[in-house]
Amino acid sequence: MSIDDRAASRRDFLDFAAHGIGSTALMSMLCDEASSMATPATDRVATPHAPPRIRRMVHVIATGGVSQIDTFDYKPQLDRLHGKPLVSKNRPDVFFGKVGLLRKSDWAFRRRGRSGLWVSDLFPHLAEVADELTIIKSMVAETSNHTPATFQENTGFRLNGFPVLGAWLSYGLGCESENLPAHVVIPDPRGFPAGGSINWTSGFLPAQHQGVALRAKGLPIDDLVPARTLPRGTEADTRVLLASLNRRHVLARRGDDALLARIRSYELAARMQLAVPEVTALDGETRATQELYGLHRKPTAEFGRGCLLARRLLQSGVRFVQLYSGGAFGRPRHNWDGHEDMVKNHGREAARVDRPLAALIKDLRRTGLLDDTLILFTSEFGRTPFTQSNAGVLGTGRDHNQDGFSVWMAGGGLRGGLAYGSTDVFGWKAQENITSWHDLHATLLHLLGLDHEQLTFYHNGIQRRLTNVHGRVIEALLE
Amino acid sequence: MTRYLLLLCLLLPPVVDEATCADDRPGPTFRRTLAPLLARHCLGCHSGPAPKGELDLSQPATFLKGGVSGAAVDPGKPEASLLWKRVTAGEMPPKQRLTTAQLKTIKQWILKGAAFPSPIDASRYTTSARAGRDWWSLQPLSEKPPPRPLSPRSWSTNPIDDFVLEQLIAARLSPSPPAARRTLARRLSFGLLGLPPDPDEIDSFVADRQDEAWLRLVDRWLAHPHYGERWARHWLDVVRFGESQGFERDKLRPHAWRYRDWVTSALNADMPYNRFAAWQLAGDVLSPGRADAIVATGFLVAGPYDEVGNAQISKAMKRVVRQDELEDIISVVGQSFLGLTIHCARCHDHKFDPIPQSEYYQLAAALDGVRHGLRNLPAKAEPHRSTEPAATLAVTIGGLQQALEQLEAPFRDQVLKRRRRSSTVPAPRPFARWDFQGNYRDSVGNLHATPSGDARIERGHLVLPGRAHLTTPPIAQPLVARTLEAWVYLDDTRQRGGGIVALHSVTAEAHDAIAFGQLRPGHWNLSSEGGKRSVGFEGPEERDADSGLIHLAFVFKADGAVVAYRNGQQYGRPIRTRGPRKFEPGEARILIGLRHLPPLRDRHIRGRIWRVQFHTRALSADEVRASAGPFNVQVSQQELLAAMPRGVRREWQHRRFEISQLKQLQKRWTAWKSYAVVPVAPEATHLLKRGNPRTPGPVVTAGAISSVSGPSSDFHLAADAADSPRRQALADWITDRSNPLFARVIVNRLWQHHFGVGLVETPSDFGFNGGRPSHPHLLDWLANQLITHDWSLKHIHRLILSSATYQQSSLFRPEAARRDSRNRLLWRRSPQRLQAEVLRDSLLAVSGSLNRSIGGPGYYDFTTYVNNSQFYEIRDPVGVSFDRRSLYRTLARSGRNPFLDAFDCPDPSTKTPRRAVTTTPLQALALLNNEFGFRMADRLARRTAIDTGPQPGAQVQRVFAICLGRSPSPIELHDSRRFLSRHGLAALARVLFNSNEFLYVD
Repeated sequence: MSIDDRAASRRDFLDFAAHGIGSTALMSMLCDEASSMATPATDRVATPHAPPRIRRMVHVIATGGVSQIDTFDYKPQLDRLHGKPLVSKNRPDVFFGKVGLLRKSDWAFRRRGRSGLWVSDLFPHLAEVADELTIIKSMVAETSNHTPATFQENTGFRLNGFPVLGAWLSYGLGCESENLPAHVVIPDPRGFPAGGSINWTSGFLPAQHQGVALRAKGLPIDDLVPARTLPRGTEADTRVLLASLNRRHVLARRGDDALLARIRSYELAARMQLAVPEVTALDGETRATQELYGLHRKPTAEFGRGCLLARRLLQSGVRFVQLYSGGAFGRPRHNWDGHEDMVKNHGREAARVDRPLAALIKDLRRTGLLDDTLILFTSEFGRTPFTQSNAGVLGTGRDHNQDGFSVWMAGGGLRGGLAYGSTDVFGWKAQENITSWHDLHATLLHLLGLDHEQLTFYHNGIQRRLTNVHGRVIEALLE
Repeated sequence: MTRYLLLLCLLLPPVVDEATCADDRPGPTFRRTLAPLLARHCLGCHSGPAPKGELDLSQPATFLKGGVSGAAVDPGKPEASLLWKRVTAGEMPPKQRLTTAQLKTIKQWILKGAAFPSPIDASRYTTSARAGRDWWSLQPLSEKPPPRPLSPRSWSTNPIDDFVLEQLIAARLSPSPPAARRTLARRLSFGLLGLPPDPDEIDSFVADRQDEAWLRLVDRWLAHPHYGERWARHWLDVVRFGESQGFERDKLRPHAWRYRDWVTSALNADMPYNRFAAWQLAGDVLSPGRADAIVATGFLVAGPYDEVGNAQISKAMKRVVRQDELEDIISVVGQSFLGLTIHCARCHDHKFDPIPQSEYYQLAAALDGVRHGLRNLPAKAEPHRSTEPAATLAVTIGGLQQALEQLEAPFRDQVLKRRRRSSTVPAPRPFARWDFQGNYRDSVGNLHATPSGDARIERGHLVLPGRAHLTTPPIAQPLVARTLEAWVYLDDTRQRGGGIVALHSVTAEAHDAIAFGQLRPGHWNLSSEGGKRSVGFEGPEERDADSGLIHLAFVFKADGAVVAYRNGQQYGRPIRTRGPRKFEPGEARILIGLRHLPPLRDRHIRGRIWRVQFHTRALSADEVRASAGPFNVQVSQQELLAAMPRGVRREWQHRRFEISQLKQLQKRWTAWKSYAVVPVAPEATHLLKRGNPRTPGPVVTAGAISSVSGPSSDFHLAADAADSPRRQALADWITDRSNPLFARVIVNRLWQHHFGVGLVETPSDFGFNGGRPSHPHLLDWLANQLITHDWSLKHIHRLILSSATYQQSSLFRPEAARRDSRNRLLWRRSPQRLQAEVLRDSLLAVSGSLNRSIGGPGYYDFTTYVNNSQFYEIRDPVGVSFDRRSLYRTLARSGRNPFLDAFDCPDPSTKTPRRAVTTTPLQALALLNNEFGFRMADRLARRTAIDTGPQPGAQVQRVFAICLGRSPSPIELHDSRRFLSRHGLAALARVLFNSNEFLYVD
């Protein structure tokens, strides 16, 4: 179908829709409008390239750098090497330039579930659902600098200005719900990650694909209700008069789709005004559910609310929810950046998320939603097996490690209870099945029915992809 | 689609019939017939670093050697040659068979011995997969004169129309009649100025029936200073102009605005486009003494800068950061001025355009001296450096402050009165008191203090500029429970770690102190034991101590509790300690202005202290309140705000924010610096294999792109040439009259902003992946016009605006849409949605509140705080200083404005030559519900009521005229009057703001 044909059929449809029918498809048209301007070539929109295994996902993003050694990448050899220097041909090139002695995990590891997956005592609740987890232990990043690394985690590129995963999904799959945005972000209530809204930008994709950040307090999104209290009847009469003005305007300009779409956007806005407060009201959940997510315990209450909210959003048709564990870098450390004291830092951060994450998995499994939903847990890089201290000193903190770290997933289309790839004996450098962000992104898109080489958008000379010119689907993870 | 293919074919150089050109000499035959054939049909796969099947058909040696399947040719024997077999079987080329004539050429050539005298340049010819050196946009400008005027002859007003009409007729389409004069005035005003026309202006244009009325209007608005503002915004989109660093820290660039102003004034002055470009590349080199020429180089460094990445320890990673930075700069140069995506050749030869990787590094070499930085401008006075704005600002600030004080006065009295009434407990008598009445003496006991550093007393206050403190003699009394009290004013609330008053051991580091921002920025905390056991109270952030005196008291109880009070109110939560440290007689003394010894810089407070008191017992809450109350005639902002009704409070907050804004504006105005190129001596540039700094290849010298026809791409510079000749050569090459891309790209941009779409749809990409020109000869004609009219952009505007093509009606015609649904052939004028900034500016304009001052530092619509990184909190500022055009919004990369974002305002980190136009429910919510819209509606209502008086019919007429530039129809008038009578004029204005007609320009 040529671009011209597509526009024509859309117009026919709008004539049809203007008489009050077919709102769902109209929504996708609204989502689509910009793509018709993204000429000249072949931007592919809103059609999965293959049958999807999952329809929606939640991305839990732990900022600061989660230690693989203390969580999922068990290195018994480190027990022996504890307090000894790292013996290696190359001196490690670490972010803060300090290479101390090797340090074993500060938490004991155990085999969990039927799969026998190794999970440390840092995550006792997550360990209970180990059989649901698919862990990649051989991730590598291109930089050990937080923000470029986070950009890459989100966009595939180290630089500002590229669209994030959620924006690509919104662009590639469109909206599932007409009452809610396709791409929602729940920041850590302790603060935004460094770079703030850059982390949910649509980059060069049209603005509607940008993540909508939900506020922890007050109105969840901007401008949801009028900034002023209006007298009774004003709002309704406003809509009536507006509609009649617009109707007369469009009648004189029959054939201009954009005008019809805009009229329709006001109807959708009205629905969103109802849907958003409904979906964000957690008090309707049962006491048992609230307890499952840890809403009544201090350390877990905040993140638990985030997880429960994520579940409700997914249930209501949001395509992509991103949930932050951790705010800005620097001090006080409201994230996983355990430079000084791993026990204190990771101990505190894990206590916030462990129970809610396990609850999310259990809850989605219980409701059957996990069959076609994916939970992804990542951080921008891992941490070094040696401590961040002077040579010959056994410190208590670990520096950034871009060369090997772990991420996990749970949900539809994946082989649960699986650990993929490995690092060297120290847990320092990925060794077997080295996996880049591009590979992970390609795999995610694949699960969603999208071919990462075909999901493209023309921008200044390049058919841009989430995976740049790289990426391969990791078949070994798939069911 | 076919139509474009047809156009494409017309653009390609005439194809010589290869078979008939056979020549007996091997050289010419090969060059003229065989080489082009191989290049077009084979070399797309069979050449380069990884040829398919390992068969490289571009080099004599590799050609003979063949690929994995063996030798390609057996000279003299076509039937035995693999190449021949494959092409005759139709296996190769895979997608399209060769023609009989082409096959004949190959056969002949093999028969004659398959001579391969010289390598073939694989990028010479365009293939179905990539552009060659024969690509349309790289060729010299065509000199084709406009076509002869066709019928309807009367329609055409200038050659643009002849070009357009020719193609319309060829596609069996006809142009649309001219739009109504009212519509035209509105279209032109939005197009040139980015603002709605005043109803009077429309009326006078409609009434002016003279032939030249239109051109007069065009000229008047082209000369209007708002023109430069409107078109600067377009340019800033192209060049990814941002005013903060981006990445992790995202610090503001408070002096980046000068580049934005330079663009505005250059456009207003109609600076010749070649100089406009050259200055942005090398103004500091070309006109070294001129401030504006230096400011212009802000172009090169308007993108993000990775401060953390540039400061990291790892050298290897730092080199990657620098290469990323260079890519940003090379891409903005290539895309903005040439429409070439040169940056795609960083890791390998360009996949689609004839740009080898080595040429990317030639440009990298040309730009290697470019670094981000803050540049001091030459001291020489210039029109650019006016002191007047700063003086005007001072007057404005004074006025605002006065107004603020008037607003506060009644509430201040009210607070004091209440305070006096409620104090029942007498103020406690301290053990020691320092009140700085001209000396440092203890006015109760004998702990007279000694100043050190540059401490001084001014008007009854102790002034501590940052490295100063006071010390007392030891206290001759045992100390357990105690209270520290101080009345203090901080120079700023961003300072970290200073102490106000401390009880300090004479010998050791043991101490207890009132400290500010030591643990958390902007928060009070207790500092103890050499700072090791410092604890916060988890109190609120201090927001007022830089604007008024506040009272602090830290009470140390015998049971170990430490309670802090701020202005008599408990601050945060009490801290539990194991008990106050006991001091024996003579063991402790008081420090004022210092957290603890030794007196390091970050332990000093910067501020003024009115009074300090020390009690040798723990005061009760009532006593603290009494102590704070009667002495403190200063009313804290908190108290003041609490006393104000909500409306006043909001008003007060707006005024305060505005004053703080104007103060920072004043500083930025007077600072004679600009965020611009700070050049360094370049280093030798290496080609980096696969773009990886770890694998450097041969040294590359500064140069440009050889496939662009015209100027030589060799700069003839040594590998160690200085920065200035490099950038000068680059500027010369780009702006050379014979560089065809330079003029084509800019006239296309102008066209795009007048029609919504350029003649080439991809304004920053004239390469293979970009669009093909819908009207190639028109494009070249306009480019030639630009060059021959001294690079005057206003000349091109005038040509476009005076054309009948521009003045067509926007009315939709189904039969025309069936032939050309996207209106590429311009059978009508496509309606356009207002851009985000234009929408906001229009709301300000119609409500009568637009502050039309031109230029100067931008306003902030956010507050900032630093928590390692810079964070931005968006707010809705109220005040004349913020009612400026959105061009003057400070573009923090992570502090984007959601209202503008909703309407497709682009991410300032991306180069956006063409904005997306989306329609979303979030837009509807923003326009309907945002406070800004309500405020503008109120003001429009007020303005209208003043203009027309209370008569509802006249009011409706007037708001329609202001918002939509027309009168309401009878039915609209009726409906609107009824609505007005029920909900008021402001509510009606809100409806019009949300109407499609307000947002779409016909």
